[in-house]
Amino acid sequence: MVSTTIQIEKGDFRVNKLVSTATAAVLALSIAGCSGSGGSQPTAGEGGGGGASTTPKIGVAIYKFDDTFMTGVRNAISQSAEGKAEVDIVDSQNSQPTQNDKVDLFITKKVNALAINPVDRTAAGVIIDKAKQANIPVVFFNREPMPEDMQKWDKVYYVGAKAEESGTISGQLIADYWKAHPEADKNKDGVLQYVMLKGEPGHQDAELRTKYSVKAIEDAGIKVEKVAEDTAMWDRVKGQEKMAAFLASAGDKIEAVLANNDDMALGAIEALKAAGYFKDNKYIPVVGVDATAPALKELENGTLLGTVLNDAKNQGKATLNIAAVLAQGQTPTKENTGYEITDGKYVWIPYKKITKENMNEAK
Amino acid sequence: MRNLNATSIREFCAQNAIYIVLVALIVGIAVYDSQFLSVTTIRDILLQSSTRAIIALGAAFVLITGGVDLSAGRVVGLTAVLSASMLQMQDYPRRFFPDLPDLPLLVPVLLAILAGLIVGLINGVIVAKFSVPPFIATLGTMVIVYGANSIYFDMEPNESQPIGGLRQDFSHLGTGYIGPGGPYSIPYIVIIAIVVSVVVWVIFNKTRLGKNMYAIGGNMQAAAVSGINVGLNLIVIYAIAGALYGLAGVLEAARTGGATNNYGNMYELDAIAACVVGGVSTSGGIGTVPGILAGVLIFGVINYGLTFIGVNPYWQLIIKGLIIVAAVAVDIRKYLAKR
Repeated sequence: MVSTTIQIEKGDFRVNKLVSTATAAVLALSIAGCSGSGGSQPTAGEGGGGGASTTPKIGVAIYKFDDTFMTGVRNAISQSAEGKAEVDIVDSQNSQPTQNDKVDLFITKKVNALAINPVDRTAAGVIIDKAKQANIPVVFFNREPMPEDMQKWDKVYYVGAKAEESGTISGQLIADYWKAHPEADKNKDGVLQYVMLKGEPGHQDAELRTKYSVKAIEDAGIKVEKVAEDTAMWDRVKGQEKMAAFLASAGDKIEAVLANNDDMALGAIEALKAAGYFKDNKYIPVVGVDATAPALKELENGTLLGTVLNDAKNQGKATLNIAAVLAQGQTPTKENTGYEITDGKYVWIPYKKITKENMNEAK
Repeated sequence: MRNLNATSIREFCAQNAIYIVLVALIVGIAVYDSQFLSVTTIRDILLQSSTRAIIALGAAFVLITGGVDLSAGRVVGLTAVLSASMLQMQDYPRRFFPDLPDLPLLVPVLLAILAGLIVGLINGVIVAKFSVPPFIATLGTMVIVYGANSIYFDMEPNESQPIGGLRQDFSHLGTGYIGPGGPYSIPYIVIIAIVVSVVVWVIFNKTRLGKNMYAIGGNMQAAAVSGINVGLNLIVIYAIAGALYGLAGVLEAARTGGATNNYGNMYELDAIAACVVGGVSTSGGIGTVPGILAGVLIFGVINYGLTFIGVNPYWQLIIKGLIIVAAVAVDIRKYLAKR
């Protein structure tokens, strides 16, 4: 047999020094890290005695920190919390097991309320069970738990937007343009020929926006014909590629471009520019959803017709207000939260229609 | 006499660096916030480290042979989805298999573990019989497993919706415990992780397979010359690793009450990091079960403790990265000293 164990040489000073240096470094770092974060959590260090403070503690778990929209919601939560509650915001790293771990931690820390942006909406049931057992009220936001899970306990709330509404508004933008501009009907057949750039297939928002945007146009009394529909995976580059392909196959037929989000709409605009649109009176209405900063720029340039704002500020504010009321042991109402509560559990934050005229509201 | 003591203390530090780091971390966090030292936090950390420990032990099998297994995380995702898809409540409105009767709990669990084992077996065959470097072989299966899992997950009527409404007995496996409840109880998951650790310790230390594993990792040619069937041993080792990832995936689904095809994403890197910090050599031949568990616990303490005291999540990443690099730097020194 071959002997494979390697012993550490006796008295190898370099190793020993390194080990002790590493240990010291780790310790120093963990402490440096702590003090470095002092700003984000002002009173965390008070430890043992600070349990019965007057401001309630709210544990907030975001599904993923590097999501642009959720960053907006997160900032709104921190801002609204000032003077009202002490918030501890953590990153679930787009992993439901990680989020469950963070929830356990909040429960151990005895927070007064939880505000959870689920990674996976079906996993909310387990989180509700944990919260109920510890008697800590929970507000879910932005991703709606299953209705049957919402019914498990009376101290469960949801703050979010109705996904179909974003589709409806983007459809209305096209319908309004069509009615105001008869020349938009290029082939004068009275039918609106459109192309659809879809988000990720199976994604709830993609399916609902696609369905309801077309429905809104039809509901406005306009006949529609789908020239092409394809998925561009929410992606700007893919949006450009797909739009270029649509233009190559059916260029002159297309009278409107509907995209499930702004990134794809901007990609489509690039493809249209390359094909000679947006100059010499060659125009085609393009709509997106999200009201991102680059999209607002295109609104200003007059290339993007309109977009739809998912109202991060109000989602964050409503979430914090409800959690703060619950943390103080009260029942949320319109009076103490400032938001209408539907069916005793739901707060619906409306989407906003954004065009060149009101684009400052989205900034 | 004094010199001898100093030397032996240094040696003790070198041999036990990993445990010293673990204790130092706990002490450091506890000094910052005394509430950290409680039975509940210990229980939480053990609970959160359990599935990670099972994955790390699987990854360690492969690392000790001198290989690496990148498929771990995606196998976790595959078996989480497989087990969850077969263990939904009858009255759940969006069942993966609308007409599937209630199977005995063990059937889907074992099927999922078997799926993990088969992926491991394939890894082993590719490495042993086709001489593909383990990094490349498992990179391939990692991508394939994710693709296959996504196709399964996208099947009608599920169409990429998260799988929820898991049966009570299945969720209980992930959230249940022995004892009175509250902090003084032992979650089933922790017990499962302890049992797995004991079994793996026995394989490592008391079986021919374990001895062969260290020999192959130490020097593959020498192992072959001394009569070890390297290929067969590698296949068995990769298969065991796959089965352990499979078990971990089942537990992740049970613990969270749901599953998506994104479960387990990047877990392989966490597992490799825990192993390496726990003293497993990436060049093979070295690694112990207590070391690996300590490595897992270090990351458990970092994840939990730094969040507990409110360290900015981006700082946590930097601290984690530094610990990984420092650990390997120390590890490499051992071999430089030897030569």
